[in-house]
Amino acid sequence: MKLTRSVFWLLPIAALALPLLVNPYHQYVVNLILVYVVVGVGFNIVVGNLGQLAFSNVAFFGIGAYASAIFTTQLGIPWWLTVIPAGVVGAIAGCAASIPALRGVRLFYLAIMTLAFGELMRWSYIRTPALTGGSMGLTVPPAELFGWVLESETQKFYVFLVIVVVIVVAVSRILESRIGRAFLSIKNDERAAAAMAVPTGRYFVLAFALSGFVVGIGGSMYAALVGHLSPEAFDLVQLILHFAIIMVGGLGSLVGSILGAVLITATPELFRDWPGFEELMFGIVIVIVILFLPRGLASLLARVHPIFKDRYLRED
Amino acid sequence: MLSLLPQLLVSGIAIGMLYALIALSMTILYRATTVVNFGHGDLVMAGAYMVLIFMVNVTLPFLPALLLSLAALFGFGYLLHRAFIWPIINGPHLGLAMMAIAIGYAVRGLVRLEYGSEMAKMPRPFEEQFFFAFNTVMTLDEITFCVVVVVMLVVSYLVFSRTRFGRIVQAMFQTQRGASLVGINVRLFNNLIWGVGCALGALGGVMLGLILVLDPDAGVWTLLRGFAAMTLGGFGSLHGAVIGGLIIGVLEKVLGTYVSTAFIDITCYLVIIVVLLVRPRGLFGQHATLRI
Repeated sequence: MKLTRSVFWLLPIAALALPLLVNPYHQYVVNLILVYVVVGVGFNIVVGNLGQLAFSNVAFFGIGAYASAIFTTQLGIPWWLTVIPAGVVGAIAGCAASIPALRGVRLFYLAIMTLAFGELMRWSYIRTPALTGGSMGLTVPPAELFGWVLESETQKFYVFLVIVVVIVVAVSRILESRIGRAFLSIKNDERAAAAMAVPTGRYFVLAFALSGFVVGIGGSMYAALVGHLSPEAFDLVQLILHFAIIMVGGLGSLVGSILGAVLITATPELFRDWPGFEELMFGIVIVIVILFLPRGLASLLARVHPIFKDRYLRED
Repeated sequence: MLSLLPQLLVSGIAIGMLYALIALSMTILYRATTVVNFGHGDLVMAGAYMVLIFMVNVTLPFLPALLLSLAALFGFGYLLHRAFIWPIINGPHLGLAMMAIAIGYAVRGLVRLEYGSEMAKMPRPFEEQFFFAFNTVMTLDEITFCVVVVVMLVVSYLVFSRTRFGRIVQAMFQTQRGASLVGINVRLFNNLIWGVGCALGALGGVMLGLILVLDPDAGVWTLLRGFAAMTLGGFGSLHGAVIGGLIIGVLEKVLGTYVSTAFIDITCYLVIIVVLLVRPRGLFGQHATLRI
């Protein structure tokens, strides 16, 4: 029997049994991995598929998380109903972050600008205590739907799993479509893409908005998972985590984003007691990956079996 | 209120001198290799930490500690380019930028591992003093900033325009391929330029250490101010970086006093965003945007 990509469905099905095997702390780490799968998938759209260096991802993540938390605490909307709005707010932030790109700002100019944007957002979490709780942070009440309270890590796991599956399937459909091909054409050569009548500006906005939407949902999940948001959670250590996920996994690869999230998220939990160690380690890991494995672990997997090759990456 | 203005100008220019030095050191790297060193802020702070280490742990006096620190950062910059940047110099920009970021993070992590939980303060080489003139106050720190940076500017101007090394570097600023065609060892000179750039940045970091409590995260603080100065002055312009730095320094003080203290923190972010939106080439830069 020839293997097809439908075997990937075995992964979430097998994962259904996971809560039987792990204790609550490990379940928390697994949930965190699911959050970062979403974040990695969203981040990879802009960096890996569109090929733009943008540092705004932590801003989208934070905006999504705070949007979800603020809707819950200030407006009393249950968490469930804030997931999509958090994504929408993230998408709006994504559109805002793509405005300079529309003006022709590229490469490191875009990188610097999005870095400034991200730092500005972190500053504003601290400076608007009425909304965000300032540097004290913001406590998010547990999610609730029709009286069913989402308290245990196991309950969160099943909800997150559904969200992750929906997002991964949706993003893979989008990346395999005309839109995904347009992203790749811009990554390879933007002038050539424009010459082939690809409306590059429109796809820039689309890629940033899509990335903002997905990462915003990741932020909303993060808010539900940790229950307490503080501005320090959205600093540059968070950013190196996001970069490490997509670099180690493989730039532009959906398989890579998932793989990277699984590998990278679990490790800092082992090194909690030594602040600085994760920065040092992720820095070294990224250096090694750039020098010796520029296409990440996904390229190794693709060599093992073609089933792991992302269908939209046809260069090799 | 307006009577404060001369004072704000004086202190703004003094701190702007530091931003100018840091922006200048980044511009030199950028002009030589067209690589924007996103890890530069961390290397700048590493300069201050090296002085701290040499003075406290090795108990050297300030001057030898400073020289050793600059030498260490020169060596680090040299090796950084040789071992990590040069092998991928022809690769995509994304990889180069990521490399610089990753190295910056590794340096920051190393610093945090050692000093993360304590407030590290660099020992002062001299006592703080105040001078009054024309209704303004200047601290000895501020005078030091101005003198050191002006001297460094004059020295680098002379080096660039009068020495053989400077002319080779200018040739490489124009075209690396052309430079290699006339027999210049491009790799060696790029290594040297990275060494010089890092040492220059470290000098800025040591002076920052006089006024700041050292913090592993101060690297980003420094990096963004350097970027703001470069963006405002125009990327790749040497005099633009200096003038941009001075303007940012003054702007921080003026906006911070007359509008809101919040502006002290966010002036550099706003400058970056506004300049790139309104006039991406900055004051003196070349074309910066892609027009299709």
